[in-house]
Amino acid sequence: MTEEKILLDHGSGGKVSHALFSDMILPLFENPELSKQDDGATLDIDGTKLAFSTDSYVVDPIFFPGGNIGDLAVNGTINDIAMCGAIPRFISVGLIIEEGLPVKTLKTILESMARAAQKAGVRIVTGDTKVVPQGKADKIFINTSGIGVIPPHTDVSGCNAVPGDKIIVSGTIADHGIAVLSSREGLQFDSNIQTDSAPLNKMVQSLVQSDCDVHVLRDPTRGGLGTTLNEIAAQSRVGMKIDELSLPIRGAVRGTCELLGFDPLYIANEGKLIAFVPERDAQKALEIIQQDEFGKEAMIIGDVTREDPGSVFLHTAIGGVRIIDMLTGDQLPRIC
Amino acid sequence: MSLKYIEEYRDALLARGLVKKIHLVSKKNLRLMEVCGTHTTSIFRHGIRSVLPEGITLLSGPGCPVCVTAQRDMDAFVAFARVKNVIVTTFGDLMRVPGSRSTLAREKASGADVRIVYSISDALAIARENKAKEVVFCAVGFETTIPTIAAGILMGIKEKLDNFSIYSAHKLTPPALAALMETEGVSIDGFILPGHVSVITGTRAYQDTFEKYDIPSVIAGFEPVDILTAILRLIQQNEAGAPALENAYARAVSDAGNEKAKQIMNQVFEICDATWRGIGQIPSSGMQLKQAFKKFDAAIKFGMDMPDVPEPKGCACGEILMGLKTPYDCALYKTKCTPMTPVGPCMVSSEGSCAAFYRYS
Ligand code: SF4
Repeated sequence: MTEEKILLDHGSGGKVSHALFSDMILPLFENPELSKQDDGATLDIDGTKLAFSTDSYVVDPIFFPGGNIGDLAVNGTINDIAMCGAIPRFISVGLIIEEGLPVKTLKTILESMARAAQKAGVRIVTGDTKVVPQGKADKIFINTSGIGVIPPHTDVSGCNAVPGDKIIVSGTIADHGIAVLSSREGLQFDSNIQTDSAPLNKMVQSLVQSDCDVHVLRDPTRGGLGTTLNEIAAQSRVGMKIDELSLPIRGAVRGTCELLGFDPLYIANEGKLIAFVPERDAQKALEIIQQDEFGKEAMIIGDVTREDPGSVFLHTAIGGVRIIDMLTGDQLPRIC
Repeated sequence: MSLKYIEEYRDALLARGLVKKIHLVSKKNLRLMEVCGTHTTSIFRHGIRSVLPEGITLLSGPGCPVCVTAQRDMDAFVAFARVKNVIVTTFGDLMRVPGSRSTLAREKASGADVRIVYSISDALAIARENKAKEVVFCAVGFETTIPTIAAGILMGIKEKLDNFSIYSAHKLTPPALAALMETEGVSIDGFILPGHVSVITGTRAYQDTFEKYDIPSVIAGFEPVDILTAILRLIQQNEAGAPALENAYARAVSDAGNEKAKQIMNQVFEICDATWRGIGQIPSSGMQLKQAFKKFDAAIKFGMDMPDVPEPKGCACGEILMGLKTPYDCALYKTKCTPMTPVGPCMVSSEGSCAAFYRYS
């Protein structure tokens, strides 16, 4: 680490976060489960395969178009577990509340957590509540952890992409980040863009229970699609080719990004997944995803290649080629 | 297919058509400079360099506001962050630009109150809510930004916001173009002129430079089709040996520009000399607060007179901004200097050419 203090960049989900993880966190905790660097850990307990994951939510503001920090926290952990190919079952909730938060606000948040859990079919089974003095936290922070069961013969990991795989994204990208941004103080703009926060466990379940050979599942949250593709390219030591014209992006999101100078490829999603499947299964997998209520706008966006392992290339609409790198620097702090 | 996709495909086809035409007409080796940082980003994002004939070289000019901000101005921003009871408000891009000893991001991590804003009105709002503190706005930018800052100052007067001030490191585009043409060793065969800036200045603002140097110049918008059109016209002018000042962004840019914006800008600011990073002093290329508005000048308010300091050793930002070098010619590029550990501002700003090379090629 070159910095003496932690900067906001360290939490961006991009290159600097990765450096913090691999330079400091991984060497201290080194073990086979953590080293895989997937969204959740895959555990084998006496022959039963489980997925285990945790995530903390510090989004600002806590209410944004289409959701709030509560459902975001529940859906986020459900999705992290689902991305291991698992069926999420139980969730824990840790609340860190700033003194002075209106009880009504807390109730609204808890109610949406309950609704989100119910919709996804998971139970919130344990938890913890702490209150800190005013100014020591910002309204409310939430941690959720969860476990899920991995069906037999499922082997989904960011390490499993192979040349020839097709890459599917389950819908429009960058909605969440832009929705949160649009409600930030000082930046209110009318956009009608809502967060895409949604549980993806049913979509995943249909996928892994079909006869499609799913290699990789990942939800491109912080750092966006661009960063997630790079992570997988590095984990699996493969190259990728993405077709810009097939990337689903809402017009309003594209417009806002242009206006503010953001690249939608690096903006967070909270209800989208990318799936890597062999070409022979691609059409079928796409149809399964499109049948899910949160996958209607799914598209095949590219291929895994043998060339240039570790690099992701974008074939642009005008017929050019450029690299998609990991996010460097924080585009939008505190969006999840 | 939704309407949006049809539109996108149509644009893509148009762009591909332009690329074909460019290949047909291009014979000479040419060095074309996109002056504006937003163009640089767009060119990289859409992979425009990868579709051009080999003989066409695109150079990224001095139009990224963060990249041309002098070291002493960065030091001033950091110094304000260290003053007790001061809230520094800044565009996000400045946060990580290295000053001589620190960055705003590091100051923030050490407890300074530094806040990212998206416009001067955010900064004014912070001043309104924090009457017991001083709010300093780091004002960088070109003709596009200056009128909004001027409007902010007028608003500050109207509301009697005594706790608000700015540090002006504003720059003007046309004098920089003239300075470039005067610099030894600089060879440029055409300018892709900035779109947003020209909306304010109008086409006429470039007339003098054009006439004096007889250099092909085309104002362009930011879509790939806009940029490719400008490149095509610059090539055509060069091949025909008929330099012209053209406006290929007529849907937004007029001859005279935005009179009202210019009027507000000139009401609050006056032209001054300015130091450009890596280039040095360019006469009449900056804007400072007029006498009547000096009480909004943060440098005076806090008695901040920063010494001129040398730029980081080995950083070639200045030569890159003038098209004399590319990032590949810098020994620090990708070794000591990366977006995570930037040495010069060209590696920090999303519009900087070193950052664009690093990210997209
Ligand atoms: S690579 Fe870094 S040090 Fe070299 S010119 Fe660019 S910003 Fe300066």
